[in-house]
Amino acid sequence: MDPISYLRENVGTVLFYGEQHFLVVLCAIALGSAISIGFALLVSMDAGSQRWSLDWIVGAVREGALVVTAAALTVPSLALLVLLLPLFGLGAATTVTALTIYSLYTVLRNSVAGLSSVDASVLESAKGLGMGRLRRLIWIQFPLAWPVILNGIRVATLIDVAIAAVAALVRGPGLGQLVLTGLSRYGAANAFNQVLVGTLGCLVVAAVFEIFYAVVERLTVPRGIRV
Amino acid sequence: MSETTTNPHGIAEGHPDQRPMIVLEGVSKTYPGQTIPAVAELDLAVPRGSIVMLVGPSGCGKTTTLKMMNRLIEPTTGRILLDGEDVTGVNADQLRRRIGYVIQQVGLFPHFTVGENIAVVPRMLGWDRQRIRQRVDELLELVGLHPREFRDRYPRQLSGGQQQRVGVARALAADPPVMLMDEPFGAIDPVTRERLHDEFLEIQRTVRKTICFVTHDLQEAIKLGDHIAIFTAGGRLAQYDTPEGILSRPANDFVAEFVGSGAAVRRLHLIALSTLDLDEIATGSSPTAAALVTVPLSGSVYDAVDAMLDAQTSVVAVVDDDGQAVGALRWNTLVEKLQLRGLHP
Ligand SMILES: Nc1ncnc2c1ncn2[C@@H]1O[C@H](COP(=O)(O)OP(=O)(O)OP(=O)(O)O)[C@@H](O)[C@H]1O
Ligand SMILES: [Mg+2]
Repeated sequence: MDPISYLRENVGTVLFYGEQHFLVVLCAIALGSAISIGFALLVSMDAGSQRWSLDWIVGAVREGALVVTAAALTVPSLALLVLLLPLFGLGAATTVTALTIYSLYTVLRNSVAGLSSVDASVLESAKGLGMGRLRRLIWIQFPLAWPVILNGIRVATLIDVAIAAVAALVRGPGLGQLVLTGLSRYGAANAFNQVLVGTLGCLVVAAVFEIFYAVVERLTVPRGIRV
Repeated sequence: MSETTTNPHGIAEGHPDQRPMIVLEGVSKTYPGQTIPAVAELDLAVPRGSIVMLVGPSGCGKTTTLKMMNRLIEPTTGRILLDGEDVTGVNADQLRRRIGYVIQQVGLFPHFTVGENIAVVPRMLGWDRQRIRQRVDELLELVGLHPREFRDRYPRQLSGGQQQRVGVARALAADPPVMLMDEPFGAIDPVTRERLHDEFLEIQRTVRKTICFVTHDLQEAIKLGDHIAIFTAGGRLAQYDTPEGILSRPANDFVAEFVGSGAAVRRLHLIALSTLDLDEIATGSSPTAAALVTVPLSGSVYDAVDAMLDAQTSVVAVVDDDGQAVGALRWNTLVEKLQLRGLHP
């Protein structure tokens, strides 16, 4: 059977796996972004204090977090999944946890970079007008950093879409199931088609995410700073 | 300037209303990691309702001085009183909402429209929408930008000079009693700048704010300032005096050199035409009033002389706001009057 007819016959299953794949990545990215952005906000708040010791500690914490999350990104996905098994067991929980860990570095890096690249004179004028720290963060710093942060989320999503396929090894939901089944019965009828459809399916999921982010960007990036 | 007793700074003391609005006492600032101070042992008193111009070469500590007044920078030594109250004791954010600040780099919020930029302080103070909207339009008119055309633009859609004007409007928004302005008109063409100066003085006549204004332009300082503070490198005050005092009695060589040649001509700016006794315009004789070059009564002797030289004539007619001639000014009488006033160099 050629791949097209295979797909036509199994469209329901493929769609089901695709949807799972999308959702599992979405959960992980939402979780990872919330953690990373929250953390970045804490360590990037324009303190404006003259307390050098505090600035120094905050800076050290920030760099430390970047190093740790970067290290996590270099752990082979298979190893991380297996390491998490005793904690979360087979299935979605382990998958989401692993994907969350893989998304941290990219989002954190971009958030820190975005928040610290906001023009100093803009922040100083905000301060000069009597905006407190928190208001400066919410009204000025975050909206101006948002396009950079969003880009980080986008890249993290692409990484997670790929890694989510591997998570089928720990019974993670998604298109990885197709690929894995195909691989395990390689040589049998339609085995190759399963691998092919599963792989191309990941591309489609990634494309759907891209469209999703284009819409989000359109809706959330303030008009004055849109390029 | 009223003729009350004055201390060495030329500032009236005594009556509470004449108590200076801003006082700097022995204020110094040395930035971390630097050996020479950016501002050194500065004593300065800014009288309530007056404009003090801070001038001096680049890097002499003007911006630093201004930022210490609203606590964007904390002084290394000395203290700063605002309306008799030590500023280090009050909440910095509350303090800054009472002090309009125009930053040298303009610093508009790029993701806010012009209207939203101007509305920032009123929004923080909890004004209602209607009032904010009215205020925004009023301020845009004031700085010479049509509200309908500019209100909804973003900063990147404005020229540098237009951005500066929005920056001024933003600082004025909640009508603060004190304004700190760091080269607010630096990027504006001479014609518009002249107009803004006139409006600025006009507004100041009615609202009487206390203003510290940094500029590189001595001409601007002379025109706008009630007092001028000239700084030398290293943040020292070379002279603090009225414009007339600076021009006619420079305290030292630095000021004399800074003021440069042409002080006599510059001083002409300081004599308002309305303070002179003008000659009658001889009716019937020629040239008739209608044929004369005219200058407005609100102008200065500088404007009159400029008009004379421009038209190569030795007489100009001075007209009031309605265009009615109120008198004539002749070159010869002018020179005599200047001699009587002791204003010649
Ligand atoms: N944040 C800072 N850290 C260290 N040094 C600084 C800092 N800000 C200013 N300086 C130094 O302090 C001195 C005074 O600077 P300031 O900005 O007050 O000058 P200025 O009179 O406003 O100059 P300009 O007319 O060019 O704006 C300069 O020599 C400058 O290099
Ligand atoms: Mg400056």
